[in-house]
Amino acid sequence: MEDMLEDTVLVNLRINGNLHELEIPAHRSLLDLLRDDLKLTGTHMGCMTGHCGACTVSIDGRVAKSCITLAATLGRAKITTIEGLMRDDGTLSTIQQAFWDNAGFQCAFCAPGMLLCTAELLATNSDPNDADIDTALAGNLCRCTGYQSIRRAVKAAIAKTKEA
Amino acid sequence: MSLHPSFARPRTLDQATEVISSLSSGAIIIAGGQELMPSINYGVLMPQVYIDIGQIDALKGITEVDGSIHIGALTVHRDIQDNKIIRSKVPLLACAAAKIGGGWQVHNRGTIGGNIVSMHPLYDILPSLIALSAEVEIIKDGQIRRVALSDIMVDATQGLGSDSLLVRVVLKSTSPGAGWAYEKLKITAGGYGSANAAAIITLDGKKIAGLRAVVGAVTELPLDVSDALSGCRGQVWSDRLSEEVEAKASAAVKVPLSDHQGDGDWRKAMAGVMARRAIEAAIRRVG
Repeated sequence: MEDMLEDTVLVNLRINGNLHELEIPAHRSLLDLLRDDLKLTGTHMGCMTGHCGACTVSIDGRVAKSCITLAATLGRAKITTIEGLMRDDGTLSTIQQAFWDNAGFQCAFCAPGMLLCTAELLATNSDPNDADIDTALAGNLCRCTGYQSIRRAVKAAIAKTKEA
Repeated sequence: MSLHPSFARPRTLDQATEVISSLSSGAIIIAGGQELMPSINYGVLMPQVYIDIGQIDALKGITEVDGSIHIGALTVHRDIQDNKIIRSKVPLLACAAAKIGGGWQVHNRGTIGGNIVSMHPLYDILPSLIALSAEVEIIKDGQIRRVALSDIMVDATQGLGSDSLLVRVVLKSTSPGAGWAYEKLKITAGGYGSANAAAIITLDGKKIAGLRAVVGAVTELPLDVSDALSGCRGQVWSDRLSEEVEAKASAAVKVPLSDHQGDGDWRKAMAGVMARRAIEAAIRRVG
């Protein structure tokens, strides 16, 4: 069975639309891969235990905490980081603009989780109510706003999405 | 930490059991990683080999087989919450999975198998699975055997042991007339509760006919208090009976946990409160 053991692992990750073929050590977390190897530092390092949500990315359309995701297990996953949210022309997406307009963030350390969870909420629920919003954001801690401005921003993003 | 850990990606159950049995201590089995990665990040666990079981199809999927519900070990909490079979046949489990901490990010990656084998006292779904009389299928040396979940919940420090792999969970449908509830008391930061309880109740008229109740997060392993509360059968729910339930469920806790979630005496008291609330809520849901 020794032949089954690999010292490094080959992964083919499509990150924000770009294909990365990477030979990585077995113990690499997705967070370290993004921040240290690919310099995508919009994904933040917070607690390293899966509590805070600052390291959130989307893996195959579903949010995940990159600090507690082992990169070697991801194979050919499609990953979206906070850098991948903006439009192709470099302007803010509907969700980002709603957070900007409603002063959703103060320091914005929690932005990756708040924005990507909102994106998944809008992608999976055409008419979310207040409880749905709270459920979608439950995996993220914000220590600035008291969450009210974040809820306001998400509601604005929902309204804008319904208009479109 | 081993600075150069290695990695194995078995594709079949046979390959997985071969590689597991060929390795000595220092190898870990990883799926969603939500239990293991925090410990690895903080140096509590230092694996020499990671065995990634995420590619094994035999561990995936939710199906009905001969009236039973089979849930593959790799099934993530989010899929348990949303799955039509689980929501209609074993709704208690969908409810408990939704109460797991960490939000969607953890629900999207954490697996039912990992949740079970970690045997963590503060995790949310074990009390419900025991109340549902769940069985589990475990593979060891190429042989799959089916056992009651409660029979393997023996030693939280050893889990399943280093030579076994959990394949799937097997559940019977909850009777459509039964009431069920999962109550979680959460007073601290983070996703963990300080006490919880799962209950399944059937009534005969107004009298309690069947009662299953399991309290969690107060002892090393979930505590089945159904026998301690068997005196409820044949009785109508009342203030007096609810006080009796609270006292008896609390008294069943012999060695309470005493940790960041609260001290032992209080946890023992809260075990009773959670059992009472879960049974009350389950009775309200009957029919």
